[in-house]
Amino acid sequence: MKGYQIQELSKVIQIDRKKCKGCDSCKEFCPTNAIDGKYGTVHSINNDKCVFCGQCLVNCPFAAPTDVIDPVDQVIQKLKNKQITVVAAIAPAVRVAIGEEFGMEPGRLVTEKLYGAMKEAGFKIFDVNFAADHTIMEEGSELLAKIRHYLLGEKVEHHLGVLPQFTSCCPAWVRYVELNYPQIIPNLSSAKSPMMMAGSLAKTYGATDVWHVNPEDMYVVGVMPCTAKKFESSRAEFDSAAEYWKKQGKTASYPDVDTTLTTRDLARLFKKLNINLNTVYDFKDSDNPLAQYSGAGTIFANTGGVMEAALRTAYFIITGSELQTLELTPVRGLKGIKEASVTMKDIKTGKELIVKVAVVYGIKENAVPLIEQVIAGTSPYHFIEVMNCPGGCVNGGGQPIHAMGTSWLDKWKVMLPWN
Amino acid sequence: MASYDYVEKAVKVSRREFLQVVGVAGAVMWSGAYIATDLIQDRSKYIKMRAQGIYKDDAKAKVRQSHNNQALNEMYSKFAQKPLSPLSEELFHTRYTDRTKLG
Repeated sequence: MKGYQIQELSKVIQIDRKKCKGCDSCKEFCPTNAIDGKYGTVHSINNDKCVFCGQCLVNCPFAAPTDVIDPVDQVIQKLKNKQITVVAAIAPAVRVAIGEEFGMEPGRLVTEKLYGAMKEAGFKIFDVNFAADHTIMEEGSELLAKIRHYLLGEKVEHHLGVLPQFTSCCPAWVRYVELNYPQIIPNLSSAKSPMMMAGSLAKTYGATDVWHVNPEDMYVVGVMPCTAKKFESSRAEFDSAAEYWKKQGKTASYPDVDTTLTTRDLARLFKKLNINLNTVYDFKDSDNPLAQYSGAGTIFANTGGVMEAALRTAYFIITGSELQTLELTPVRGLKGIKEASVTMKDIKTGKELIVKVAVVYGIKENAVPLIEQVIAGTSPYHFIEVMNCPGGCVNGGGQPIHAMGTSWLDKWKVMLPWN
Repeated sequence: MASYDYVEKAVKVSRREFLQVVGVAGAVMWSGAYIATDLIQDRSKYIKMRAQGIYKDDAKAKVRQSHNNQALNEMYSKFAQKPLSPLSEELFHTRYTDRTKLG
């Protein structure tokens, strides 16, 4: 096995030999050509290349790829242990998809029902939408520092990466860059993904100011639309909360996020505990500061959402006034590559700035050309959002599976017999 | 000299029969095309419906910009001071690994 750090998960998805018909559909959806096996023979996954996005899993007509990391029973054990505070970090995309596992129509927004079910199961809630707002503040400030330095010639206080800045929320994308284009690592935003920010904030500020517990008695569970998040939470460097407490004299070591459930895993957990999302009581959790979020935080789940949220805040910080129209239609919709430019007048210097941005999903088809531009030095953009999955996290590899597959936007040619 | 007269057998299709055949053929083609397009639409409807659900959550939110999240601003004033402060760098930023160099 190549390209792994110590203690990282090196396998998340496995193809079931008995179910695989060798139809090659999965290869069409794989962003990294990580699926081996000729047409008609049983396929297998090459974990040296796999980024764990799970697109093969949600689009296989025979349900052959399976997620082999199953922490459901372990989480139930932790919930039963009254000594432990179990915190669920719930991603934005989960609230519009988990209803499907309980017979509701796709896209039904069930935030209050989901909170209610989480409460009944015994979880404390840390809404990752809050952490998404937090990400915008950190990642946006980083971008603005770069823009002020490189475009307006301001002096910098600390080390900065280079422009264009790529988003770093998508763990499949980050692993792809680390594996294939290490030369653009300085372009990746140094901000953690919202889930990892939630983890380190929960075990520091959350422990002292919100739940009043010892951080070593906490168990943080990511609830994600994503299989790659299982890998991300196992990455060795994500123990900043424990490091923070070590400086204050504590000795325990623990990860920021202890384990990760997908939307499907969470639905199974509810069913095991006899919790029905249809009949559970609504719960708003309005006293919990870590469950308060803005509209900008919630749209992180869609392709273009991180960009839209970032521009709403960047515009305010640069110009000193709010955007007139908050809906940035050029970055919405299901086009593979979207572009936009926003003109802003800097409140400090009075200079006019044109911030150029791009939004892509699909690494193989859409992100690679932009990476090549960056390497060649011809990229016209300042900020580029990349999500691996078609349509963004709402269509992630951890979302409910539909027999017909969900990512066939431009892949209709796969259905032709001569393909 | 033998005369060879070829008389083509008349194919009699009444107006009613013609309409029947064309009708059936049309129906077959129409439903085939419908099934094909429906299949594609059905396969991408989940993304669209979930995306709509998310945009609805944004549209109904009272606060729609991250910098106006009061609970977040309170966290900064009580704990991490401001974005990119030394504590923010320590807790909320990370580093990446060149995996081509990992054995």
